[in-house]
Amino acid sequence: MKSIFRTLAIGVISILSLTTMAHATPWDNLNSDQLEAQLVEKFEQGQYSPKGADSCLMCHRKNDDVMALFDGAHGKITNSESPMAGLQCEACHGPQGTHNKGGKEPMIAFGKDSKLSPQTQNTVCQGCHNDPEQMAWHTSTHNLEEVACADCHTIHAAKDPALDKLSVNDTCTSCHTKEKADMNKRSSHPMKWDQMTCIDCHAPHGSMSESALVKPTVNDTCYSCHAEKRGPFLWEHAPVTEDCSSCHNPHGSVNDNLLDSRAPQLCQQCHAPDGHASRVVPEPGMDAFGGGKSCLNCHGQIHGSNHPSGSLLQR
Amino acid sequence: MSFKRNMITLAMAVAATPAMAANFGVNQANTESVNTERYECKRCTNTTGYTGEVSVSAGYNDVSDVHAGNALGTGKDGGIGAVSGDVKYQGDSGYQAQIQAHQLGMDNGFARLSGGKAGLYQFNLDYDAIKTYQAGDVESPLWHNNGMLTPSDTLNVFDLGLRREKVGLGFDYGQDFYGAFVNYSQEAKTGTKSSSLVSPSPINFGQPIDATTKQFDAGIHFSGQNWLTELSYFGSVYENHIDHLSLPYANDVYSATPDNQAHQVSLSGQYNINRTFMNGRIVTGRMIQDDNLIQMTGNPLQSWDGQVDTLDARYALTSMLTNRLRLGGSVDYSKRDNQSSSAEFAQYNFNSLTGAFRQNVPQDIERNTYKVNASYRIASGYRLQAGYDRKEVERTYSDREQTHDDSLWMKFNVRAFDNFNFNIKAQHANRSGSEYEANDLTSSEDNSLMRKYYLADRTRNAVELRMNHTPTNWLSLDVTTRYAKDEYDDTQIGLTESEDYGYDINLNMAFNQHIDGYVFAGQQWINSNQVGSQGFARPDWAADIEDEFVNLGLGASYSGLMQDKLTLGVDYLFSNSVSDTYVITDGTSPYGDYFSYNHSASLYADYAMNEQMALKITYRYERYFDTDAANVGVNDIPGMITLGDINHNYNAHQVMLSFTYKLR
Repeated sequence: MKSIFRTLAIGVISILSLTTMAHATPWDNLNSDQLEAQLVEKFEQGQYSPKGADSCLMCHRKNDDVMALFDGAHGKITNSESPMAGLQCEACHGPQGTHNKGGKEPMIAFGKDSKLSPQTQNTVCQGCHNDPEQMAWHTSTHNLEEVACADCHTIHAAKDPALDKLSVNDTCTSCHTKEKADMNKRSSHPMKWDQMTCIDCHAPHGSMSESALVKPTVNDTCYSCHAEKRGPFLWEHAPVTEDCSSCHNPHGSVNDNLLDSRAPQLCQQCHAPDGHASRVVPEPGMDAFGGGKSCLNCHGQIHGSNHPSGSLLQR
Repeated sequence: MSFKRNMITLAMAVAATPAMAANFGVNQANTESVNTERYECKRCTNTTGYTGEVSVSAGYNDVSDVHAGNALGTGKDGGIGAVSGDVKYQGDSGYQAQIQAHQLGMDNGFARLSGGKAGLYQFNLDYDAIKTYQAGDVESPLWHNNGMLTPSDTLNVFDLGLRREKVGLGFDYGQDFYGAFVNYSQEAKTGTKSSSLVSPSPINFGQPIDATTKQFDAGIHFSGQNWLTELSYFGSVYENHIDHLSLPYANDVYSATPDNQAHQVSLSGQYNINRTFMNGRIVTGRMIQDDNLIQMTGNPLQSWDGQVDTLDARYALTSMLTNRLRLGGSVDYSKRDNQSSSAEFAQYNFNSLTGAFRQNVPQDIERNTYKVNASYRIASGYRLQAGYDRKEVERTYSDREQTHDDSLWMKFNVRAFDNFNFNIKAQHANRSGSEYEANDLTSSEDNSLMRKYYLADRTRNAVELRMNHTPTNWLSLDVTTRYAKDEYDDTQIGLTESEDYGYDINLNMAFNQHIDGYVFAGQQWINSNQVGSQGFARPDWAADIEDEFVNLGLGASYSGLMQDKLTLGVDYLFSNSVSDTYVITDGTSPYGDYFSYNHSASLYADYAMNEQMALKITYRYERYFDTDAANVGVNDIPGMITLGDINHNYNAHQVMLSFTYKLR
């Protein structure tokens, strides 16, 4: 048994100790500021290649990732808005300069291996993508956390996984791991089967609402699918009107119906009148207080009632 | 004195370091020497025409409980079939179109069709179907027909579930500096939901659902070099086609969900000067509900004119003062002004009129939120962020009319190492407010020691640690651990404290072009304590709620078999949700079983017969179990009727054979 653990430990350690044998480039020793300064200078000089993409592909055409650009929108020459219809590769990667003469000059690079700051990388994308969807980007948590566009978006591909309903949740949960786990709780929105997506409620480019929600308030966001709870109702339940998340956790819960706790305990965290609601319920399933829907056996219109006699949310 | 001097030094430092912004946007490019006419793109692999794939699937579902339909895409037992695909068309002159379909023919599926000319216009047509199963073979002695719930000795057996079917149509048009959009969608909701009424004893029953939500959005936007503005409208109309419910011996015992509508007009904008960005928005809205009220003695109104006016406004700013220092902040205002009419209505005591009248109390809510934040790069790869948030809420007719939440937070990010990233987050928050009063307008008067948790004084402390390790370019490991504690120090009755802690580990591997895999594991614990009083006096009972969640998953795929034509894959997920409650009176007693677990597995083999055609066989297994001791037989509790034992315990299997045809 010990030897199995030892073998396992050695295996794990040797895997972890492996280091990348990445392509060493002459600009690897530049720090982020030095790299940026050099790229700014190159960008201002504007020494674009005379033949556009053909110059770049002379060397890079054997790289499948590079060539995958032509399968997506950014690689379409016939699309007048595409970089390929303009400065081609250099529209995003900056002027070639003398990069092709010995490969000693850096180009603008993207993704997790790029030393260029995310904000600077993002200026490339924002040069074209400046529409209402990105209006709140600069004050968004993603921008303040220095997330680069390329951290989520893949341009060199037939389809960007962040733009596909079947893979956008994977894109978000690669960082938002707690929310990934929440999807698998006893109750959750149908996210793990991609029937719903994170971006149904949240705007990944930021919004002018709390938690980057797509609607002005938490409740407005919930009402966009649960319009029956919008009301207004003749008889309201105050915490329901104030904030759906007073009782529900939209990411998932170990309780049914995304509730923070189950009834009767949840209800008794707010209701202690001189009457039945204060009663201790020692066991579930024994009487109308702890059986079936508990408090909701009688107060079934918990989200609000429109019955003239519905003040106790019973009708 | 020294503080002043430090501020002066800081101000000088800020002034002396010009915030130069690198901007590599193509619109900033120096294109003097560019002649794109010489671009030939000989090495480009430009594709016009159709690309993508279409697949047809047929298979078999072995389902004993329709609840399995949530995981398997359909609750049908027996033969199943579906069509999926993702096809793009690219024309020579810039026209493009795309259609994506997923599992059409199953309960859950969607289709998206879009097309247009880039930079000019785009249309889209969407279809979405989502069916959520809650329980199958639910029993009820009540039979619904046109608003009448008729009791019968023969049990009505049905499924609890909701089907949403949504069709949407959209059109976008845009030129250089302006654009406009129009979207319309209509969603039909059908099914049966679990409901309950009192007449005079409680009866759980299946309430039919038949409703439509129509959504209409439109907007226009303009942009310039450093600004952007949008004016938009959002409208939603909800129509319920199920009327009030009656019992043969009690008319209109349960009111229908009323029709309602909501409208919002929003004006938003963004402006930037060098590295200072600001954005703002003002949204004015109205929610209307004026359905006819049930006519009865003691109701003075034919219909109620429910109307809530809302106003939401925001201004936010962020500025890179130097290459190291960023400052930002925001102000939010949100008002819910309930303009609905108020009247006195007779209230029932069980089934007979007592003569007690009550007035409805339309509640107004007003919120102000202020946030400031700063981010400072201490050195390359080391960044410190800190902020202060304050949220003020005022509400009428409440036990506590004013509350304010103050929160101080700090984050420290380390990106200085090639293979390691560290993040630490900490938060200290406090809620306080005006005097807490029990209020007989909002509810029957509560014990004076009760502090409702969403209004009560609260101290929150939270910390999160996150580590990301990438030892090689094919392996990445994320480890996150977090702890949070809420203390309600002034609460003697109600929720008194709650702690939430846990961890998750995610390991992703892309070993080479043929092998990839993942493993994740996580646990979370949420423990909360609450106190009650049966005697309407001092605390005399308590409840400890101990929630635990476990989540495990792993998967791998290998694509290097039979000259790379065969891909084999496996995915497995386990999750276990437990909520144990202990009721403490004279002794401690457990409050019954309440847990669920599932094992979900899938195995697949994908064989490429040639460049165009592929066959895939998939086997999926779902083991699901849940229990809630509150769910008992229809007549097990004297004096009430339940929907029976709706707990789940099943094994489900699915085998699917898919044929995929690739275009180009």
